[in-house]
Amino acid sequence: MSFPSRKAAIVGVYNSKQARNLPYASPWQLELECVQGALADAGLTHKDVDGLIPMAFHTPLSLHMQWAEQLGGRPISFLDVGGGAGAVSKAALAVASGMANVVVIWFGNAGVRLGPQGNSVNPSAPRVPDMSYTVQGAYMSPWYAMWTRRYMHQFNVPAEHLAEYSVIARHHAVLNEESVMGVKGEITVDDVFNSRMIADPLHLLECPLDNDGGYAIVVASEAVARGCRKTPVWVLGGCEAVYTDPYQSITPHWISSEAQAVRTTADKAFAMAGVSRDDIDTAGLYDCFPVTMARDLEECGFCELGEGAEYIHAGHVALGGKMPCNTDGGLLSGSHNGNPSGMQVTEVTKQLRGECGVRQVPNAKIGLALSQGWAVHGLAGTVILARD
Amino acid sequence: MNEPYLKPLPQKQPENAPLWEGLTQREFRAPKCNNCGAWNWVPYPACRECLSEDLAWTPLSGNGTLFTYTIVHRGLGAFHKDVPYVVALVEMELPPGGKRAVIVLGNITGVPHDALYVGMPLKMTFKDIEGEDVTLWEFTAREA
Repeated sequence: MSFPSRKAAIVGVYNSKQARNLPYASPWQLELECVQGALADAGLTHKDVDGLIPMAFHTPLSLHMQWAEQLGGRPISFLDVGGGAGAVSKAALAVASGMANVVVIWFGNAGVRLGPQGNSVNPSAPRVPDMSYTVQGAYMSPWYAMWTRRYMHQFNVPAEHLAEYSVIARHHAVLNEESVMGVKGEITVDDVFNSRMIADPLHLLECPLDNDGGYAIVVASEAVARGCRKTPVWVLGGCEAVYTDPYQSITPHWISSEAQAVRTTADKAFAMAGVSRDDIDTAGLYDCFPVTMARDLEECGFCELGEGAEYIHAGHVALGGKMPCNTDGGLLSGSHNGNPSGMQVTEVTKQLRGECGVRQVPNAKIGLALSQGWAVHGLAGTVILARD
Repeated sequence: MNEPYLKPLPQKQPENAPLWEGLTQREFRAPKCNNCGAWNWVPYPACRECLSEDLAWTPLSGNGTLFTYTIVHRGLGAFHKDVPYVVALVEMELPPGGKRAVIVLGNITGVPHDALYVGMPLKMTFKDIEGEDVTLWEFTAREA
């Protein structure tokens, strides 16, 4: 058995405007803009679509049915759920097998905030599921703060090495006029440490954005891809994995050599693609906090366990380094629109097409995108992409 | 009269009733598999190791060690009045012979924040919520 490498391609990508608040009447309107934008990028229309992977916060099958109706009430022969890079991998299998020809993957958020915004309080204590972390006042930043502290403790990691990632991400955002934070300019490690504490040891500039925005990705069969408007970005290999429940169960192997979701998908993706870690010219690695970036690098096999922060400190992930990552500014300075797990794919696709202007990685031929989330490295997808 | 408690409270699931009853009696109980001896936290309908549904709510000592923690300075919703507060993962002390760890999410109270460290000995404490039918667990320092 083998993955059908180069039998499916990303033929269209689209990012909407990403901003603190976008004036859309509904998320649906934004999602529609993204779907149409990615199809136009490919030179296709909604009548070509026969596969759907929505990445909404909630994805019941009735949602796929409503989008089937929205896009013309024609038969849709591939329906799935999942995160960005994992979704691309599964869409590639679907179009390579003939199950579908054109799969669209999309997300749009207008108005939903994940973190604290203001201090609004319920008039009485709300009741939540009895194992909910909200009882203890946890949310995403405290969870990743606990992961950060454990990581620093296990491997004796200096806080500066992690903070340097925020500086690199901001530098990339400055070079990307579509980023949310680029207009704020460059930052230093001192700026990171002087920003207000959110969840010790995480300062504000080590936490992701929490903004509006959307994107879409179109994956098509080889036959369709050859006739599309832009150069195809081929899927060489990829898969998706999940290993635990959403931020509830924790084992002592939280940070260990025991393969969890991310390492499983990366190892499989590289085996399918037939390329090595050294072949990756640029990567989009889900970087919601500096520790996530460090752990991504380790679990993807770009360095050893406990060496991710040192890899960042060495400058390897910055533009000009040996494997520039998150060249759009990532989730700290580019955009975090609620479910940004497809934005690593859209940026790597643009890099492989050579569309990135001042932030272009010279002669980028092979790229990797990693999506993760729903628990700390809980749901993961890795896809390896290449231009002709 | 104290201010009403406005932070989220657990909707007690019937299958977890022994846990919530135990807390009112100052006892923390975790599910242990009668078939293979594995501890299962958070509770699930069947054992993660062997899928046996023969799980017994088993009292723990309440002692544990600090696995990791954060001091939260930006609180969500009603927690904004509590900042800075501590959210922690605590690895519970288990009787000898079992399999799998029990790592519990909880707040730490009564400890100066600069005295916290990974590996710190902790013990569970219990907090009855006034006017509500819930007792929550928390952690504080213990003599090693």
